[in-house]
Amino acid sequence: MKTITRKILAVALALVMVMSFAACSGGANYTEENTEYIIGVSGPLTGAAAVYGVAVQNSAQMAVDEINANGGLNGVTFKFIATDDTNDATKVTANYASMYEGGMQVSLGCVTTAPGLEFKQLSVEDNIFFLTPSASGDKIPEFENGYQMCFADGNQGKVAADYVNSLGLSEIGIFYKSDDAYSNGIFEQFKENLDPSIATVETVFTGEASDFSSQISSLKDCSFIFMPIYYQPASIFMTQAKGIIADDAVYYGCDGFDGLAGQFEDFSVIPQEVSMLSHFDSNATEGMAAEYIAKYTEKFGTDTLNQFGASAYDCVYAIYYAMEEAIAEGETIDVTISASDLCDILKAQFNSGFSYSGVTGENITWDENGYVAKIAVKYTLKEAN
Amino acid sequence: MAKLKDVKWNHYINYIVVAGLTLLFAVLSLTGFLESSDKYLLEKVAIAITLAVSLSMVVGFLGELSLGHAGFMCIGAYLGGKAAVILEPMLGEWPALIISLAVGGIVAAVFGVIIGLPALRLRGDYLAIVTLAFGEIVRSIFMNSSKESFGGSLGLDTPRFNKDILFIIAFVLVLACLAVTQNLIRSKHGRAITAIRDNEIAARATGIDVTKYKLIVFAISSFFAGIAGVLYSYSNFTVQSTKFSYNYSIEILVMVVLGGMGNINGAIIAAALITFLDVELQTILTGNLAVLQDLIYALILIVIVIYNNAPALRPFREKYNLKAFIEKFRPHVPSKHRDDEAKWDRVPTKIKMDEILSVDLQVSSPYTPDKPEKEEK
Amino acid sequence: MEFIETLINGLSIGSTYAMIALGYTMVYGIAKMLNFAHGDVIMVGGYMIFVGLTVTGNPILSFIAAVISCIVLGITIEKVAYRPLRGASPLAVLITAIGVSYLLQSSAQMIFGSAPKMVNIADLGNISFAGLSIPVYIIVTLVCSVIIMTSLSLFVKYTRTGRAMIAVSEDKGAAQLMGINVNRIIMITFAIGSGLAAFAGLFMLMKSPSLSNTLGAMPGIKAFTAAVIGGVGSIPGAMLGGILMGVVEAISLKIPLIAPYTDAIEFLILIIILLVRPTGILGKKRREKV
Repeated sequence: MKTITRKILAVALALVMVMSFAACSGGANYTEENTEYIIGVSGPLTGAAAVYGVAVQNSAQMAVDEINANGGLNGVTFKFIATDDTNDATKVTANYASMYEGGMQVSLGCVTTAPGLEFKQLSVEDNIFFLTPSASGDKIPEFENGYQMCFADGNQGKVAADYVNSLGLSEIGIFYKSDDAYSNGIFEQFKENLDPSIATVETVFTGEASDFSSQISSLKDCSFIFMPIYYQPASIFMTQAKGIIADDAVYYGCDGFDGLAGQFEDFSVIPQEVSMLSHFDSNATEGMAAEYIAKYTEKFGTDTLNQFGASAYDCVYAIYYAMEEAIAEGETIDVTISASDLCDILKAQFNSGFSYSGVTGENITWDENGYVAKIAVKYTLKEAN
Repeated sequence: MAKLKDVKWNHYINYIVVAGLTLLFAVLSLTGFLESSDKYLLEKVAIAITLAVSLSMVVGFLGELSLGHAGFMCIGAYLGGKAAVILEPMLGEWPALIISLAVGGIVAAVFGVIIGLPALRLRGDYLAIVTLAFGEIVRSIFMNSSKESFGGSLGLDTPRFNKDILFIIAFVLVLACLAVTQNLIRSKHGRAITAIRDNEIAARATGIDVTKYKLIVFAISSFFAGIAGVLYSYSNFTVQSTKFSYNYSIEILVMVVLGGMGNINGAIIAAALITFLDVELQTILTGNLAVLQDLIYALILIVIVIYNNAPALRPFREKYNLKAFIEKFRPHVPSKHRDDEAKWDRVPTKIKMDEILSVDLQVSSPYTPDKPEKEEK
Repeated sequence: MEFIETLINGLSIGSTYAMIALGYTMVYGIAKMLNFAHGDVIMVGGYMIFVGLTVTGNPILSFIAAVISCIVLGITIEKVAYRPLRGASPLAVLITAIGVSYLLQSSAQMIFGSAPKMVNIADLGNISFAGLSIPVYIIVTLVCSVIIMTSLSLFVKYTRTGRAMIAVSEDKGAAQLMGINVNRIIMITFAIGSGLAAFAGLFMLMKSPSLSNTLGAMPGIKAFTAAVIGGVGSIPGAMLGGILMGVVEAISLKIPLIAPYTDAIEFLILIIILLVRPTGILGKKRREKV
């Protein structure tokens, strides 16, 4: 009875699709019509990881607004696009294609590692430069067009292991998220570089688990617990571990810990010492970090203040200064430059000792592999009570 | 030799439409009219159609609710992807593609039979939760696999097929899936399957081998889910297990239900439209608007489902639908054939009785899908 | 000793599942629909507690507000999204339930932002018992679950409304003929189920104070699994299933080799139990008729 309806619908659908395709035809990058430099990023703006993507979006937008308010690059302003991938690699393709065809000239890559692995492959085909604020997987800057502003996971794991080796402990606890690329990446390198004489108690969680009583009771005799996880589950762990894990124990994390203090009205409810190895501390009181925090908090509140945002803020400025320096060195960059041409210019800049000082470090440089070289600071977020 | 006018065009209209569109897109692609984004979209559409059609076999024709379709796809994606990784350097692109499609499909089909076995014992929502559990188990196993085997949490790096060709291959596979499904449904086996759906005990009593048919349907359905998985692995650079959660199974189920249960053409259209809508919402609503994606999607979903299914809206539906709209502009040709079509079900009193009856009937049986529409003679 | 500790952890995890499963099983048992939005009603309950705490600062007041708003929400959802589909295919209802679930999640993100909120309801502390340190919330949650379970069972068995609920779950049409207002009974069921969701929200927040818009999603599925293990529609079954799931989870997390597979193991147990007992541990067998 309804077949006619379906047939008509099918034909209508076909027409709609054909028309939508016919509307755009020809080349690919379409930067010729740009009136602003376009920077794009793909990140989780919705879903469970949204807080990281939103932080990047807010901060990058803030940086772009500042640059534009100061006259942009030789009078040309910047435009920032953030697309949503809900931390799902499958969605990156569509985001990437729509931004690329929308005239994106340079990118911040992906906010998180899993989609970033897809992004790096897509971007290398078109030769588009990306400097990712927070996709910290070791393989993210695998190709020559990719650079990281954050520390690579493996590197963080190694540095953390070196630090732990120097403490002279006999047993440590580890708490990590086994289905997360970031957490796993750090954990593996940490384990590899850890002094084999140090015994470990390893506990894991997956997904969005929120009851860690089992893991806590496994770790209750440990005086040092390494937690390469993000601050949200860490805050739950610490709250639940009160009174079970010894008060003089130490929680030690990586840059994912940043933002932890903001989770508590009063951080001193956690009796243990909490420290992290990071490039940014959202409680910083001096330097550019403090300035950034003041500006961000004024605009967006403290809810989404974390190192993802700080790093994204730096990424935008680093790209801006690199472009500025390239122009100063005689390269021609105009607003309609193609992504590929700009990529070659920026690659040359980043590989030839371009250095940048910003919120997440001073004299930041990049090696030819795309890994960042800056100082990781051990921040003590909270002393033991 | 059958005469052309004897061919039941109704039976082939969907092949013709799909094949025609494929050809059209292939030509457009060759002449450079298609953007990469369009090709990516078409790949996604083809994968979604394959998934929806194959799931519609289980849900629409066998009448079992499966929430684990993404699990079969996951198996196909990982095993097919792994086969592609190993074989491509040895055999080259095309042989590797064909073998990995076979590997992904067959392994998924084997698991389809394995999960079909409990289907013999469980009914309705119990089976649904078991299939959901199966999907999550599969996902968890691949998630925790070692780096060397399936990449673990970083996912499996798979070769990406040339984007100018992949969507055409995907549509050819849609045609294959359609051919298998429709021929099965229209055969005597298909009637046996729908008989099982309508009343399992009665079907058994008439001598239908319920076990055999249930397993066949599960095997074929998961075979094509596996094929879709292999295509997925070829259309992405990495296969990541997080994608294949129960949410994805539900997404596929939504396509089947929106298309109308037991209606393959409906499933195709719904799959294409939903994928199209999804990608458009995702790429149009950027930045601060991103949060609206799910909101809009959810509202559309609720409104469409209520409009399509609410018993109270039935008179309204019959008055204002696309068919009625087109009928208005169609020249009225009084023919014997049309006069014969005494529309008993449109008599108002009959509708009321129908509704009263259907309420009672549907409560007492745990799960009864819509009846398939009757073929037009 | 270690075993007892694991058991207690299992009770801690399981008591939450049990609490959610009670709400699930009420709605499923009587309205015969898979309410995928139940987990999100819990999330809304959590946010209402958060709002109440921010505005009044009084945990009890904000909890009452949360219960009331969850009940109102439950009734509204039932009226707007589910009732029009009564008599239509159950799958259609399933799909609207999913739609409602997306709707609630994205509305929550729009209103409250993407950052998780920390909600500190009350720090109940731990009590030491025979060398074990047991968080008080476990005891509170368990006691409350048992009280709710008992009163629900009694309510369903001995009150007029409760018996009408059983009648509706057995046969809507026959119940209607007996003079039962089916719509009203289903509405009451949803009200109770959603009220229980607010309870679940409270206990989840007591345990882990981080509140986000995906709070109820995975626990919701796990709790539904628990309800199925126990036998859908059976109130003590939901409790039993929840506790069982929790204990399995705790034991599995304890063993390093299988800890990453914990979710898989829970689901595997579900499959095994359903293969042995196709209607769950305490589920009733229904005879199929032609």
